[in-house]
Amino acid sequence: MEQLFTLTTLTGILHSTIRLATPYLFASLGETISQRSGVLNLGVEGQMLMGAFAAFFVVVTTGSLLGGVVAAIFVGALLGLLMALVSVSFRAEQGISGIGMYLLGLGLSSLLFRLTLGSVQSVRGFAELALPGLSSIPVLGPALFKHSLLVYVAFALVPMVAYLLNRTTWGLNIRAVGDNPQAADTLGVPVIAIRYATVTVGGAMAAMGGASLSISAVNIFQENMTGGIGFIAVALVYFGGWRPVGVMLGILLFSLVSALQIWLQLVGIGIPSDLAVMLPYILTIIALALAPRRTGQPAALTRPFNRGMA
Amino acid sequence: MQAFPPQRTTSTITSLELRGITKRFPGVIANDKVNLSVHGGEIHALLGENGAGKSTLMKILYGLYQPDAGEVRINEQPVTISSPQDAIARGIGMIHQHFMLVPSLTVAENIALGLRSSRGLRLDLDRVSAEVQRLAELYGLRVDPKAYIWQLSVGEQQRVEILKALYRGAELLVLDEPTAVITPQEVDDLFAMLRQMRAEGRALIFISHKLREVIALSDRVSVLRDGRLVGTFATAGKSRSDLARLMVGREVIAARADTKHPSEGAGSIALELQDISAQSDRNTPALHGVTLQVRAGEILGLAGVSGNGQRELAEVIAGLRPTSAGTIKLAGKDLTGNPAERANAGISYIPEERMRDGTVLEFSVAENLILRNHTEAPFARGPLLNRSAVDRACRDLIQRFQIKTPGPHTPLKSLSGGNIQKVIMARELSREPAVLVAAQPTRGVDIGATAAIHQLLIELRRRGGAILLISEDLDEILALADRIAVIHAGNIAAILPHTEATPERLGLLMAGVASEVT
Amino acid sequence: MFKRGTLVVVAFVLAVLLTACGGAPAAPAAPAATDAPVAAEPFKVAVVMPSTETDLAWSQAMIDALRSIQAEMGGEAAMQISISENMFNVTDAAAALRDYASAGNQLVIAHGTQYGTSMFEVARDFPEVSFAWGTATDTGEAEGFTNVFSYNASAEEGGYVNGVIAAMLSTSNVVGIVGPVEAGDAKAYIDGFEQGVLSVKPDSTVNKTYTGSFGDTAAAAEAASTHIAAGADVLTGSAQQVVGAIGVAKERGALWLGTQSSQASLAPDIVVATQLYDWTGVLKDIIAKIQAGTLGGTAYDLTLENGGLKIVFNSAFPGVTPEMQAAVDTAIQGISSGVITVLP
Repeated sequence: MEQLFTLTTLTGILHSTIRLATPYLFASLGETISQRSGVLNLGVEGQMLMGAFAAFFVVVTTGSLLGGVVAAIFVGALLGLLMALVSVSFRAEQGISGIGMYLLGLGLSSLLFRLTLGSVQSVRGFAELALPGLSSIPVLGPALFKHSLLVYVAFALVPMVAYLLNRTTWGLNIRAVGDNPQAADTLGVPVIAIRYATVTVGGAMAAMGGASLSISAVNIFQENMTGGIGFIAVALVYFGGWRPVGVMLGILLFSLVSALQIWLQLVGIGIPSDLAVMLPYILTIIALALAPRRTGQPAALTRPFNRGMA
Repeated sequence: MQAFPPQRTTSTITSLELRGITKRFPGVIANDKVNLSVHGGEIHALLGENGAGKSTLMKILYGLYQPDAGEVRINEQPVTISSPQDAIARGIGMIHQHFMLVPSLTVAENIALGLRSSRGLRLDLDRVSAEVQRLAELYGLRVDPKAYIWQLSVGEQQRVEILKALYRGAELLVLDEPTAVITPQEVDDLFAMLRQMRAEGRALIFISHKLREVIALSDRVSVLRDGRLVGTFATAGKSRSDLARLMVGREVIAARADTKHPSEGAGSIALELQDISAQSDRNTPALHGVTLQVRAGEILGLAGVSGNGQRELAEVIAGLRPTSAGTIKLAGKDLTGNPAERANAGISYIPEERMRDGTVLEFSVAENLILRNHTEAPFARGPLLNRSAVDRACRDLIQRFQIKTPGPHTPLKSLSGGNIQKVIMARELSREPAVLVAAQPTRGVDIGATAAIHQLLIELRRRGGAILLISEDLDEILALADRIAVIHAGNIAAILPHTEATPERLGLLMAGVASEVT
Repeated sequence: MFKRGTLVVVAFVLAVLLTACGGAPAAPAAPAATDAPVAAEPFKVAVVMPSTETDLAWSQAMIDALRSIQAEMGGEAAMQISISENMFNVTDAAAALRDYASAGNQLVIAHGTQYGTSMFEVARDFPEVSFAWGTATDTGEAEGFTNVFSYNASAEEGGYVNGVIAAMLSTSNVVGIVGPVEAGDAKAYIDGFEQGVLSVKPDSTVNKTYTGSFGDTAAAAEAASTHIAAGADVLTGSAQQVVGAIGVAKERGALWLGTQSSQASLAPDIVVATQLYDWTGVLKDIIAKIQAGTLGGTAYDLTLENGGLKIVFNSAFPGVTPEMQAAVDTAIQGISSGVITVLP
């Protein structure tokens, strides 16, 4: 039990928390942008899988990590565009089209994996990059500043997305379109174009979340390797009240409990493992149920836009 | 899309012409070869009943719809307006009846929306705020640029809408029913500002069905009926009944004409509220100790600006909303803790949101008519509906209440707003209620149906019914009510006999400026 | 407008489902290579399994065995194999089992303990088809079944031997185990492993974690990271999820001991040895019995003694000492002869 409270353990837990948070950050921040414009993209999981595969495939065949990242972004954006076509232009029920996107990503990534690589293999992914100076701070240094490049990128996205949403004309357009698209339309804001853009960017970011697993955290691709991360990422957007910083805090809490439960098992304090692995999910459900406010929810979320039909 | 700051004088509109505008929707012709000509420096009223085609015509002008035929000319030049963006670029501004504001954004953000920032991608709200302040002072439109829209009153929101249009350099401003939701004092301010804008040479299109306002404000008036232009007339020299006739196409008997107010306190107290408090949907206090009485054979008008507790009060009486304090008595019997009993004890309710609360739009007229008592004889035989009894009763009601419907089995949603309201009136009044709560019974209803509904209320009063008439239309309240209660911020500010009520006095009370509890 | 939207969604979902089915290409259809007319009808076998045939673990061990028998028997003309992969949903697996039973297969393998209930239901309706399932010890004889074989692996035996190797390799005297779900085959392996470690170095620390899933690669990776952070320099783990853990071990220089299938191809530098499940003997015996007219009734068990379990060193790994080899041989002999008792 006392093993849980040593400094090494603390560093370990924090390090795990940061690393676990990374794919969620990419996916949830992308989903935040999409949802703030009024489009629920439930297909994040499928886009992550495709991103994970695309990045992995390019790294396997070319050895270029940058190529892997570009491939993930490209494939994610393409799938985002498809999602936008179905949800925004065809005005499909967003819950259903999202499940369709999930199945598409799951099936296609598995199929392409079999047709191309076929068997499990590993790649040399992004290596850990200790930030000089910062990483030698006791306890916190190795926990926070000894990660692979994509981890830093994921965290840097938080203030960037917050700035985009709150301080730029694009962000203003996005928020307006998510809350009252009719009003935005009467002011000449291109509602459809903005939703296309946010869903496309969201898809690219989800794919980056997948790539952060396949070429950074795990360095392996396996069928269905995301195992539900994409769906949790969508829930964490609600959890974080549609604000980037709130979303990040929710992700950190979820990741902290995920990391903690591994350590709890490891030091053997006698919690059944089945219960331990459920802890993060139980916590999420409780927190979602207790969160009283729905104030941040974009008023037009899941409502397709049709000019002239108020 | 123009940049900050807006420039006036770039594109003065001296004339706007709509020529032969035709717009068809499946099954209807909304606009049929409509011609309209408006010039700078005039206030042009557009008059017509609901469904006459006013909104469609204006949506075409603003680029929200494309006409099937016809052309728009500005300053003698034909133009194509394919989007609101085009309209704004050509100096056209529009104040929609349902405000086009984003509640979660601030005033400045709403105004900056859709415009390019002087700082590239970065928002420059300080600069917008300064410009908004300047415009606000110029036109006497007080509003805080940093306030969120959801914090503002309806009147303030309207000012934001107007500022939004002015900021974009609107030379032609379309105002769709701008007086429907504001107090008489705010109407005066609005009119003063519109006259100032006319003096600056701007063109103004004022859409209304309130004849008094059209006569008071406009220079010329165009009347639309059934999608066609009846004609354009100089307003001077037209009386209200002239305009009403042009609008409806026949003589209209205004309710006021045969209204005889019975002597005060004629009947016994039918409904009594004592210190009623209740919460809003957002769990904030909505009513603070409301006390009032409605007597048999009287109409008590409840005046107030929208959102001051009217809806909550109506729902409390109807038993749809719990009270947090106070008592409700019906004919002397305490029914506070017994909401379900209230309907059975003779309270009928005509809800404000008739499309949502009072009817099932997918159901037929007949089904809606028996919605309340379909489990009782003669409509029900055990668990089964007696179709022939239902049909008979419904045909009778359709005739008595002059509901315009192809038949009792037509889906309700295919009827006009006025006829839907008549269906609700028929259902509620056929029960001969002791107390009727009528919330905004004529909002969005055409002039003919309004007169019919007023007649029904007067007849119910004559038969000894106690009526609480909740309305934001002061003309309606003044015409019908025996006594007038004014509600402001969940309090009854005053209750006046109709003889002492003037629009000015009521307006001050509605604005919360004066409080005179009698 | 609404209708068009609905149609689009339906079309989209259909397209997606078709693609997803394409993703599992070995749907209940026999391979197409039947053009060459053969005198005798080929032996037809079908297998339903929870992961892919390339999972480097549980499912691959079974497929490898089937393919080697197929090759031995004379290729597809002599033996046809139908495969349903990724049947993590038991309901889907039940449907696949029934399809295979009615499609003329002589042997239907339900490769997962979790399929037992469904398999017995199908077996009752198809008494002329032979079924095999595992890991399990129940052939349903008590309930009157005569067409069910069961197979089990005494995974704890190889676990023990792997544990001996791990203890000898570890310099930190901390070893970590990345478990899937705390039950069955996986738990037996892990408990045996722990016992093996402690038999060599009784004061070693053996850290155990479970991810709660057989296939969650990312969770296994994180568990491996945590073990390494907690000081472990030798790791093991089971189920198809372990590829995630091996990726991390490779990155961070920890050693790995495998089970079920060889994972050496994934990380030749760090995989020391593997307990291989060799189902070939079991399957050959089952096929021989079926061809002789006996459709079930035998419960098989893979052990070190009967050769179903093998400890195979990775030849590319340089750090195996003769001393270690000797310790392994001693442990195997001890277990086979009963001198060493490994817990179940």
